[in-house]
Amino acid sequence: MTIADIVAQASAPGQPRSVGLSADECLKCNVCTTACPVARVTDLFPGPKYSGPQAQRFRLGSELAPGSGRLSVVPSPDRSVDYCSGCGFCTTACPADVKIAEMNNRARGALRSGRRPRLRDWLLGQTDLTGRLGGLTEPLANWGLHNRLVRVLIDRILRIDRRAPLPRFARRSFRSRLGRHWRGRWSANAPAPATSVVYFHGCAANYYEPEVGQAAIDVLERNGFTVIVPPQVCCGLPLISNGLYAPARGRARSNIAVLAGYARAGYRIVGTSTSCTHTLKAEYREMLDIDDADARMVAEATWDICELLVDLHAQGRLDTRFGALDRTLPYHAPCQLRSHGIGLPALDLFELVPGLRAIDLDHDCCGIAGTYGLKSEKYEIAMAVGKPLFERIRAGGAEQVACDSETCRWQIAAATGARLRHPVELLAEAYDAYLAAEP
Amino acid sequence: MATADVAVVGAGLAGLTAAIRLAEAGARVHVLAAGHATTHWAPGGIDLGALPDSRTSQEAIDRLAMVPGHPYGVLAAELPAALAWLRAVLAREGFELEGAPGDPLRAIPTAIGATRLAALLPAGMAGALPAWAPDETLVVCGPAGFRDFWPEAIAGALRRPSSWRGQTPPGRIEAVSVELPGLAGRRNLSSLDLARLFDDPAWRRAALEGIARAVAARSRAPGRVALPAILGLNDHPAALAAAREILPLLPFEVALAPPSVPGLRLYAVLRGALRRHGGRLQVGEAVHGTIDAAGRVAELRAPAAAREFVLSAGAVVLATGGIAGGGIVADGPATLREEVLGLPVDGPPAGNWLSDDALSPAGHPLETAGIRTDRHLRPVAPAGSTADGRPIAENVRVAGSLLAGQRYLRERCGDGVALASGVLAARKLAGVAR
Repeated sequence: MTIADIVAQASAPGQPRSVGLSADECLKCNVCTTACPVARVTDLFPGPKYSGPQAQRFRLGSELAPGSGRLSVVPSPDRSVDYCSGCGFCTTACPADVKIAEMNNRARGALRSGRRPRLRDWLLGQTDLTGRLGGLTEPLANWGLHNRLVRVLIDRILRIDRRAPLPRFARRSFRSRLGRHWRGRWSANAPAPATSVVYFHGCAANYYEPEVGQAAIDVLERNGFTVIVPPQVCCGLPLISNGLYAPARGRARSNIAVLAGYARAGYRIVGTSTSCTHTLKAEYREMLDIDDADARMVAEATWDICELLVDLHAQGRLDTRFGALDRTLPYHAPCQLRSHGIGLPALDLFELVPGLRAIDLDHDCCGIAGTYGLKSEKYEIAMAVGKPLFERIRAGGAEQVACDSETCRWQIAAATGARLRHPVELLAEAYDAYLAAEP
Repeated sequence: MATADVAVVGAGLAGLTAAIRLAEAGARVHVLAAGHATTHWAPGGIDLGALPDSRTSQEAIDRLAMVPGHPYGVLAAELPAALAWLRAVLAREGFELEGAPGDPLRAIPTAIGATRLAALLPAGMAGALPAWAPDETLVVCGPAGFRDFWPEAIAGALRRPSSWRGQTPPGRIEAVSVELPGLAGRRNLSSLDLARLFDDPAWRRAALEGIARAVAARSRAPGRVALPAILGLNDHPAALAAAREILPLLPFEVALAPPSVPGLRLYAVLRGALRRHGGRLQVGEAVHGTIDAAGRVAELRAPAAAREFVLSAGAVVLATGGIAGGGIVADGPATLREEVLGLPVDGPPAGNWLSDDALSPAGHPLETAGIRTDRHLRPVAPAGSTADGRPIAENVRVAGSLLAGQRYLRERCGDGVALASGVLAARKLAGVAR
């Protein structure tokens, strides 16, 4: 089989547009390099163009359709693609529609496939497992993860940087606090789809920030929805970003098995983590090659919570009786939100809250990129990527900063000392303020 | 579904100008763009017009305005105010545009040792504008190991009198490469890396002192130094001031192959101005829409993760560029398609798309492909149709290189048309409320 055969086969009519072959559209203009937050601060990553479309020539064999026989090719000319943080700005900036970030993500997966994963990367990928263990052993786990000596040991042994921002386990998980919410799989007895939504809380709201999950429930119930919280596992993104595609597929299949029942019955699935929702929407298909009817159904039913609320507002269905929150609120849009391609819905919602003056910080990336900035060899890169953002926040002096994604919130909070909040927490607060002010 | 008063498609000079002007006037503006491009590619000057035999940009503008169907027929009158506006936006961030449309077009050295005609340049490049005196030396100076700027090759090409388009060349042309501090072990340096280094006050002082020594060893005044366009990305005004203070001869920046650092500076200023006035900018969107039965575009759609992103807007500015910018694509061997709304494209007939001479002085045949509009920049029905010349989309305005009738590269009128049409489109839509 020749390269020409591979190209002909992959670009045959009816084939989905290949991530790898989109390299053919590259003009070598370097616009992606101007958009890369990592190449901006380190020589260890040569930039998206070099690692992506340029190196792709060496990887073409990995683009063969499954079952067509694979060429034995080197997965990548060198290991520098490991320093890509996966933020995705290269893909959005590209004027020629080259899937640069996706290409680099797959190359990272290929670098690691067939090898035993590093213990550290395996552990960082298992956010649901660590969350469950941490919850069981809290407060010991919290003490350990914030004790300097323990962190030095973890740094030495595992290479998770001792300065990296780790969250605190909640005493009780979000799920264990749920009241009379429907928690099962879909059945005919489940609340009606027109007036209910399915909540995908993800690991962060469940194990670390139950208050975000509670705020989501409050805001959705205020708008007349019954909230269903079906069984779920980690979306799998931490596994994907650590190159562990096989276990990620397992997580994806478990979630799809439960969520597809609801999606098929016409429910909307809403999430508070822009990372989880983007994984449900796009990465199962683009990264894990799970492209069956169920996966598509789940993807199309999934909404970021702010996206959903803006949509309700456009239909005149959002309860806009917000009380005043008199404050200036810097807002950071996380990379994963931008990959949704839905604009900045949180800013639209903040405009509805009297007194709230939201400011778009307009910085690309805070640096953490999921688990990237936790790693000892990448911590300083991550801090350098976020430095202008941290400086802007510190200079502004605001006590609170809003951001839709949990790992970004933890990174920014650790770097600035500000209190980081999910937009939906502010909306819940504004609804409460309205009730409190009502005579 | 998101909502805006005006949706602008395209984030080049035309789209951003229209968007900022509208936002300044109080409209809720949402810019959607497929990606970054023209600002990041363009050499960094503001090209208003230059014809092979025109002495000034103004002369070129006046002549182009007389050409039937050329956008300048309507837009030339808008240009002075549009330019004054751009100067004010740039000045707020410490940037200056030097030169004027009535100034003589000057041969400006480029990074391949050719020259291009320009009259209006950012301050960092403007040192190349004054005529060269016969006793002046041009020192071409670049960082050692920087692959996008080879002083010896540039100086060699510039020593040919034919490079100067009939204008007086410098009396002497020298080349020098300089090791910049801390870069000996670094490979693969890009213009971006170097420009960011020049943002650092301590590093740039050391670098400029090294350059000053190397230049002084080659030449005495009078003369000027040509440097690659790397004098700062986020703090260019300060880097330029330092270069002027430390170097023994007047420095000027030379445009490089993309990515363009001067273009990125311009983009950052415009993006900041848009944000300050509350406008939104969303990049990475392949936008499409339809004209409804009432002759209006009510919403734009773009594929997003899993679902389409829908933006409902009262009016639309289309500034997606011509065939080079991706606003128009060749769809098969005989059809030109406008990407967003499928508007009728005015262009050369199929069969006349290609020329035998890649560098023909007449320009590329497809460069003229574009959207014909009325005086209000509304797209019109194609020539020969029964509705010929009548607007086909009431709430749409076309701006920039997407406008038919121009050769935006060959006539060097792309920036002028972009600015003037951006300003005019915004004025035509002022008061649009959803």
